[in-house]
Amino acid sequence: MSCRHYLVPMLAAAALWPLTAGAADNIKIGFPIPLSGPTAVYGKPVLAGAELAVQELNAKGGVLGRKFELLSRDSKASADEAVRLAREMIIKDSVDFLAGTLTSAEAPAVSTVAKENKIVFVAPTSKSTILTDEKHIHPYIFRVASNTDVEGLAGATLMARWKEVKKVATIAPDYAYGRDSIAGFIEALKKQRPDIQIVDQQWPKLGEADFTPFITAQMSTQPDAVYCSLFAGDFVTFTKSATPRGYFKAINNRMVDPAEIGTPDLAQALGDDYPYGVIGDAYDPVIWHGTEPPEHKKFIDDLKKFTNSQYGSGWSIVGYQAIYALAEGIKKAGNTKSDAVSKAMLGMSFDTPVGKRSFSEKSHETFAPEYWGVMVKDPNHPFAIMKDPELLPASFPTY
Amino acid sequence: MTTETTAPAAAPIGVAREGNWVRRIPWTLIVFLVLATVPWVGSRYDTFLAEQIAIDALFAVSLNLLLGTTGLVSFGHVAYFGVGAYVCGILMKTYEVPFIFAFPAAGLGTALFALVSGYFCVRLIKLYFAMLTLAFSQIVWAVAYKWNDVTGGDQGLPEIPFPDLDWMSAIPGLGDLRTNDQFYLLALAIIAVSLAILHRLVRSPFGRVLTTIRDNPERAAFIGVNVRAYQLAAFVVAGTFAGFAGALYGIFSRGVFADFVFWSKSAEVMIMAILGGMGYFWGPPVGAAVLVWLSQKITAYTEYWPFMLGTILLVLLFALPGGIVGGLAALWNRIQGRRRA
Amino acid sequence: MAASFLFSQVMGGLTTAMFLFLIASGLSLVFGIMRVINFAHGSFYMLGAYLAWQGVQWLHPTGAGFWLATLFAAVTVGVLGAIIERVFFRSLYGREELYQLLFTYALVLILGDAAKFLWGVEQLSVSTPPILSGGIEIFGTTQPLYTLFIIAIGPAIAIAGSLVLSRTGIGRLVRAAQMDREMLDALGANVGAIYTGMFVFASFLAGLSGALVTPIQSIVPGMDVLIIVQAFIVVVIGGMGSFWGTFWGSVIYGEVLSFGILIFPGFSLFSVFALMAVILIVRPWGLFGRPL
Repeated sequence: MSCRHYLVPMLAAAALWPLTAGAADNIKIGFPIPLSGPTAVYGKPVLAGAELAVQELNAKGGVLGRKFELLSRDSKASADEAVRLAREMIIKDSVDFLAGTLTSAEAPAVSTVAKENKIVFVAPTSKSTILTDEKHIHPYIFRVASNTDVEGLAGATLMARWKEVKKVATIAPDYAYGRDSIAGFIEALKKQRPDIQIVDQQWPKLGEADFTPFITAQMSTQPDAVYCSLFAGDFVTFTKSATPRGYFKAINNRMVDPAEIGTPDLAQALGDDYPYGVIGDAYDPVIWHGTEPPEHKKFIDDLKKFTNSQYGSGWSIVGYQAIYALAEGIKKAGNTKSDAVSKAMLGMSFDTPVGKRSFSEKSHETFAPEYWGVMVKDPNHPFAIMKDPELLPASFPTY
Repeated sequence: MTTETTAPAAAPIGVAREGNWVRRIPWTLIVFLVLATVPWVGSRYDTFLAEQIAIDALFAVSLNLLLGTTGLVSFGHVAYFGVGAYVCGILMKTYEVPFIFAFPAAGLGTALFALVSGYFCVRLIKLYFAMLTLAFSQIVWAVAYKWNDVTGGDQGLPEIPFPDLDWMSAIPGLGDLRTNDQFYLLALAIIAVSLAILHRLVRSPFGRVLTTIRDNPERAAFIGVNVRAYQLAAFVVAGTFAGFAGALYGIFSRGVFADFVFWSKSAEVMIMAILGGMGYFWGPPVGAAVLVWLSQKITAYTEYWPFMLGTILLVLLFALPGGIVGGLAALWNRIQGRRRA
Repeated sequence: MAASFLFSQVMGGLTTAMFLFLIASGLSLVFGIMRVINFAHGSFYMLGAYLAWQGVQWLHPTGAGFWLATLFAAVTVGVLGAIIERVFFRSLYGREELYQLLFTYALVLILGDAAKFLWGVEQLSVSTPPILSGGIEIFGTTQPLYTLFIIAIGPAIAIAGSLVLSRTGIGRLVRAAQMDREMLDALGANVGAIYTGMFVFASFLAGLSGALVTPIQSIVPGMDVLIIVQAFIVVVIGGMGSFWGTFWGSVIYGEVLSFGILIFPGFSLFSVFALMAVILIVRPWGLFGRPL
């Protein structure tokens, strides 16, 4: 009996053994991002973009004479995991800033950690308006992603161009992004085409394994067109189940998807199973039609070399922008204190391979437009590519 | 398949075997006093780890009241942890109820839920009991995951406020601590009191009846014990303390998320209990400490933590069924035996 | 609500149901005979999926080698089942159910990471075998040939399985083992061989269903943990240890899920767990089982 009384203090002492390693003088950025599961297909290239930016900046000597260090962790696209990792990186690794997260489940949750610890957090991909709305805004949150009102306006503009469409159905993942995405679209569509009726709404869960019941239920309402906010692995699973059921044929391929299905990443995942003819979008179409800006060409060339891939990715650009935005903020502030950096970033402009972006002073975001176009089969590539990308919305009433 | 055949589970809990000077030192109190110094002597990260361990320890001890003491294999204990976390979190965040009311309310809510679900569970035996507890925990998970307006759905409920700790700042020596550290001290005190209560309970006549039920339910019934009533009582007590652990955990992790309640978490806490040794009151806390510490150590080097955990579990099941404390106790007894001989 | 729509919904539910039947029948058999809840059954399913993908890559990435790959996956998982039963499980018979539960959970952890190590974390997918890639028109709906094939294979296995159980000598031994294994042992039957055989057969079915699911679902880490809970529900509904019970349990589950999203979209998850709890409370031995 007595032995167990020795054991507890012994183990308690062992548990308290300091694990923290000595920190170098680097500017540390914690980057929780999904690196496994269905959303890893987007998480990995976002991280690659951030890593490329860090490499470039460090090659030029860093900022304020200090180099960047990126600490990436697999958030598994879960709010719980992302929060735990963000806190752990702050407490254990003493990161100076946070960037990353992919979904709108993770980003708003990590934003609360940034707020409490007073650390600047730059979200590269989360589009849900709740991330920076009046109720949730705080000095340390910034977003280089677009938002669901911006994409909704663009999506509605494209949908409104189909004059013959009277009945529209929606399908979106049942979580923050999906709900905000559909709300933003419907609000914009009502203004442009009050005659269109929303006949059906389906809400499969994020990471749904079987879309069949949702597909058959939606087909029974016979919509003329569909607004679909499914993305990444969900869009792949959905398509594989929808195509053989004649889903795309029934709507004549009139589908608009605002969730970056226009990237080569997703097109490659689907290969020839891609539902050609639907309209998709991307922050970066990668394969550029018309006159390509030299900055973009250089970025994609560097990216291909950096990731050792044949085509590059349509996602890396947001990870890249997030790091450059932080670097610009640090430069402008003259130090790495989050209070100073967050003030410097208000209204700040920064250059990106697809043009200048600037943070709104009120909602800390860039209202980034995206490239939209019909996804077509292309003889030069073994996957769908975006035909004549159009930057939409042409203008957005920023707030 | 009676429990008598398995040595570790049949080890008496809290029964003094020999009274010597080692026993008379209040080790438990010393451990908690040592842990209380962590905010001063350790880093922020050390406090973070110590708090995680303390909360897990309470959670694992509450499970062990069912597992080790009463012989009920619950595969859904995380449901009560989750209910406690959500009740306390929702009250504090959404309704701005102070911690001093929200925390007991979490215990009360969990107790009620444990009473209702436990009433049905204890009517079943063995695997059916395990399955029904699993079903209840998955119901809690589904509600947490889908009831957006109340639980925040899969976004969870971030930004649970800290309790009002101004009173603590008034105490000399505690005023200059961070809020995190002050909450750690509060949580540690609550956990110490909870563990003391549970320890008392296990050693009381009530606890002895539970052990009798574990070893031989037929005999217990024969001597006039209302087996189901006692099992239900144990279920409610275990659930309530799991709820307390959950309420503290929600504040500690700065948010409550649906993933807290997923069934695999029930397995994790069960592993803690078994790793430490479920035949001993202090087994589960040892298991919690070792597991939390190991997971931190190992995840720093490899992403294959589940693989390591599975391997640890295999070793436990096949080579060390009494857990760490059980193994050390056996070793100690052998040394003692040799000395006497 | 049009008839064609109802038909589509029923067929969708049946597809889900038949996959679950293939998985859950093995789980139920193992429970019925060995009184073990095998958490690792979902891992066998996952391994079946990954192995099928691997087989397709080796043979013909466009999917022509699908059938051979499926057989390869199912057999490999069956062999793995044999090894696990012989080496580990054997020494756990007669121990408390807690140890058996935790052993199978340890397998879940180890096999899950092994799959991550071997095949990475990105989602993989397999194309529908060319022969079944089309669809046919039924009642004004397009039904994919592949799902019709799955709907046919479920009952085929159910009938074959029940014939083996009711008509053959092996079947009699298995049923006897289900009722009273000490008696059987005393009568001199080789109970160990029956256990191994059943465990291998169950693993084979799990591997088979994992392989067959690949053309319509993506293969991702975590699919093991998701499916096992669903299989539990099915087994509980039908009755643990009851073969036909598992079949009808799957059908009920599939249809509840399929129609559940129409009636209360957000709560279909909740409804299946609630159903599981209610059945355990009212009839712990399931709708089609007998009290043990």
